[in-house]
Amino acid sequence: MCYVTRTSALEYEDIEVGKARLIERGEQIGDISLKARKTIAMLGQDFIRDGSTILTHGFSRVVLSILKLAAANKKHFSVVCTEGRPDSTGLQMAKEMVAIGVPITLIIDSAVAYTMESVDMLLVGADGVVESGGIINMIGTYQAAMVARSMNKPVYVAAESYKFARMYPLDQKAMFPSSRQVDFHYPLPSAVQVEFSSRDYTPPQYLTLLFTDLGVFTPSAVSDELIQLYL
Amino acid sequence: MDSRRGSRFVIDPKIRQVGFVPAGCESENPNASSAVAAIANVDVNPTSDSPSPVMIPPRLADPLPRAAPLPVPSPPPRKHTSVEIPLQGSYNPTDSVLGTSPPFSPASNGRYAGVPSSEGPDLSPSFVSRASSAMEGMSLREDHLGSPSASRFATVGEYAMFKQQQPQQPATAVTKVYASSLPQEPVQSFAPVGKEDSSKPLKERTTKAERRAKQEADREAKRIAKESAGAKVVEGEARASSNVVGKASRAQSQKKDSASEKRLSAVEKASEKEKKKEIPAPRMQFDDQSRVAKAKKRALIEQTETKHRVELFRHLPQFVYGAQLPSLEAKFFHDDAMHPHPAVYQVGLQYLTGDITGGNARCIAMLSAFKELIKDYCTPRERTLIRDLTARVNNNVSFLTTCRPLCISMGNAIRFLKTRIAKLQLTLSESDAKSLIIAEIDRFMQEKINYADNEITKLAVTKIKDGDVILTYGSSCVVETIILHAFSLGKKFRVVIVDSRPKLEGKGLLRRLLGRGISCTYSHINAVTYIIQEVNKVFLGASSILSNGTVYSRVGSASVAMVANAFHVPVMICCETYKFHERVQLDSICFNELGDPDALVKIPGRKGLSELEGWSQSSHLKLLNLMYDVMPADYVSMIITELGMVPPTSVPVILREYRKDPIL
Repeated sequence: MCYVTRTSALEYEDIEVGKARLIERGEQIGDISLKARKTIAMLGQDFIRDGSTILTHGFSRVVLSILKLAAANKKHFSVVCTEGRPDSTGLQMAKEMVAIGVPITLIIDSAVAYTMESVDMLLVGADGVVESGGIINMIGTYQAAMVARSMNKPVYVAAESYKFARMYPLDQKAMFPSSRQVDFHYPLPSAVQVEFSSRDYTPPQYLTLLFTDLGVFTPSAVSDELIQLYL
Repeated sequence: MDSRRGSRFVIDPKIRQVGFVPAGCESENPNASSAVAAIANVDVNPTSDSPSPVMIPPRLADPLPRAAPLPVPSPPPRKHTSVEIPLQGSYNPTDSVLGTSPPFSPASNGRYAGVPSSEGPDLSPSFVSRASSAMEGMSLREDHLGSPSASRFATVGEYAMFKQQQPQQPATAVTKVYASSLPQEPVQSFAPVGKEDSSKPLKERTTKAERRAKQEADREAKRIAKESAGAKVVEGEARASSNVVGKASRAQSQKKDSASEKRLSAVEKASEKEKKKEIPAPRMQFDDQSRVAKAKKRALIEQTETKHRVELFRHLPQFVYGAQLPSLEAKFFHDDAMHPHPAVYQVGLQYLTGDITGGNARCIAMLSAFKELIKDYCTPRERTLIRDLTARVNNNVSFLTTCRPLCISMGNAIRFLKTRIAKLQLTLSESDAKSLIIAEIDRFMQEKINYADNEITKLAVTKIKDGDVILTYGSSCVVETIILHAFSLGKKFRVVIVDSRPKLEGKGLLRRLLGRGISCTYSHINAVTYIIQEVNKVFLGASSILSNGTVYSRVGSASVAMVANAFHVPVMICCETYKFHERVQLDSICFNELGDPDALVKIPGRKGLSELEGWSQSSHLKLLNLMYDVMPADYVSMIITELGMVPPTSVPVILREYRKDPIL
C-alpha cells in the first residue's frame, strides 16, 4: 500500500492526473509483484533437491511459484501441507499441488511436530517482514518454525522486498490485531473467550533464510536492506 | 613508512598498539607512525611556505624566533621547554618530532590574549619571562635537559635550512640569530639534513633505526657526557658523528624519521597518509614500564600509581585517586599556552571528582568547554589556525584524559571536532573560522545528543504499554527521559531499579522518579534473578556500542542482560548513534577503565564494617573496581537509536552508511 502512495505524483494539483498516477502505480505494483515472484521462484527452487519433502503452512502464492518452478524443472519432491485454520487455505494449496502433479499430504495443524521428523525443510510465505528479521504470517507459523528449529530443519521464508516493514515487535501482542472468526462447529457457551487473531510473529532466531527478489538474505540482513531503503 | 614502522617494532617489541586511542592517549613512540598520522590529520591544508607540505608540520612556520631565545637564557627556561615538549609529546608527536610545540607559542600565545607577539629577537624577553614564570610550577626532569630541546633544535635547524631555500623576512633574521647564538647543541648538526639528497634509500633509514636503538641503550651516559662536554657546534659535515653524539632521545629519532620521511616522495606520503587515516591510532598500554615512565614525565598532573595492581589489568592505567586534586587546584591559574584552558580545566576537575558522570553529560561538558576555548582563541602569529587550534585541542584533550580516561563517545566527539577544524578553508578569517567551528559544535550537540535523545524517547515509549514492569540498571539519562515521558503520556507502569556498589547510581534515579510520582522498586544486583520474574521489559543505556553489536556499558549491565535473556525478557538498549564505534571487543578485559579501589573499602551506613581497611598493606589482597563491562549481542533484543529500532547486527550497517555523512 505504501508503495502505491509513496510517490511524488500525489503532489500534483490536478486530481485527475493524481488519480491516474495512483492507478498506474497500483498496476505497477501488480507487475512488480509478479516479477518479484519470478525472481524468488528462481532463487528458491535451487534449495529444493530431488527426494526432498517440504512442509508448508497454508497457502502462499510465492511458495506456490517456487514449487511450480521446481516441478517444471523436473525435480522430484513431495509436499506436506497444513490445513491452516482458521483460513483453511491449505486446502487450496493441496488443489494446486495436484494440478502440477506433486505428491501432496494434507495434515491438521496439530500434526506439525508429528510430521516434522519426516520432512526436510519448512517453507512459508510472509505477510510482512519486520526490522528484526522476523516475519508476520498466518497463525501457526511460529509454532511450526519453533518445532523445525528444535529438530534442526531449515526454515525458509519466501517474501517480496516490498513486504519489508519498519516494525519491531517484541512479542505477539505488539502487532495490529487481525482477527478471523473461528467456527468451532459446536455451540459454545457465551462465557467462553475465543482467541481470534489470525496472524503471529516469528522471531528471527527461528528463521534460516529469506528468499526475496533482492536476493537470499539472512534475517539480520533485512535490517541492512531497510536502512538502505528508508534512511 | 610501513617498513620503518615494521623495523621499529622489531627493535622495540614492548610497544603493543591495539585499536583505538582517544586523542589524548598516544605515547611518544608509536610516534613516528602516529606522528605521521598526526601530521596527516593536521596537515590537510599544507601551508604554502613549506617545501614539502607533507613533511614539515605547519607549526614549524615560526620556530626560529622562539628557538633563538632558547639557548640564550639560563638552564631553567631550557628545562622548561624540555618539560613542555614531553608534555606535548604525550599525544602530540608532531611536536616532538618536528621540534616545535605550543610551548613555543607562549611568546606569541594568543590564547590568553594579553601577550603581544613580536618579531624575532623581541620574542626572547617575553619568552624568557614566560618561560621562567611557567617554570615555577613545573616539575623538572633533569634528564630531559639535553635531548628534547636538542631535538627541537634539530628540526629547527632543518627548517632553517629549508627556510633559507625560500627566503622569508623573519626566517633570515632568525637564521642569523640561530647561527650565532647556539650553545651546546650538538644536535644542531641535524640542520644539514634538509640539504641532503632527498632520495635517501630506505635501507639507510633502517640502519638509522638500528643505530637509534643502540643509542637509546647508552643514552644516559652520553647525556651526562654531553652536558659536561659543553657545546659542540657542528654544522654540515659532522652530521654523521653528531648523530652518534646527538643522542637517541625518542624525539631525536623521530626527528630523524621526519627527516627521512621528507625523502619520501609526496605521492608515497599521500598514500601512506590514507593508510594512516584508516588505521586507528594505537592505544597506550600501561604495562610497559618505560612507556609509562615517559608518559608520567610528560604529564601535567602528577599521578602516583596504585600499589597492588591486578595483574590481569596491568595494561590499563590506574592512579591514586584524589592525589591529583590538590596539585591540579594549585595549577589552575597557571598561565601558559600549554596549560589547558580554564573551562577545560574546570571540566577536568569535575570529571576527577565525579561531579559529572555519564557519557552524554561528560561529552556535553567537554564540548561546551571547547567552545569556550575556541571563543578565547587567537591564532598566534605565523601560525595557521587549523594546525595550531588542533594542537591546542589535543593538548586539552590529553589533560582531560589524565583527569579521567575518555569514554568512547567523547573520543568520537573529539574526532568530529578535529575533522571539522581540519576541513576549514584557509581563506576564512579567524573570526569566521571560530564562529563556524562553534556553530558546528552546537550543531553536533543539538543533533547528535539532544535531538537524538528526543527521537529515542519517542520510539521507546511506543514499546511501553499499560501494565508493564520495566527494569533498568544504574542511571542512564536516556532511560530516565524515556520513563518520564511515558509517564507523562499517562501510561500505567512501574519501574524496577537495580543498583550496585560502589557507585550506587540508581539511588539518584530512584529519587528523581519517585519525585515525579512513578511507582518504583529498588533492588540490589544480587537480587536481579529474583526480581526479573516480575519484569516485562528491560531498558538499559550504553556507553558505546561496538561494531559486532556488543554493548559497552556500566559494569553490571551485562549481568542484568544475561539474566533477562535467560528469563526471555526483552532487553532494549537505548543509545545515540554518535556513541557507536568500529572497534570490536570480545571481553571486558582488553579495554576498560579502572576505578578507585578504595571505593570498595567503605560501605556507607555501615561504619562497623571495616574488614578491608588497610588492604594495601597486605600483598595478597588486591582490589579491583572496574567501571565498564561488555555485553554480547545475543543478549540484546533491540537497539533504539535515533535512526530507528535496529537489531544489534545492524550496528556496522549504521556505521557504514553514516560515516560517509560529513556530520560524523
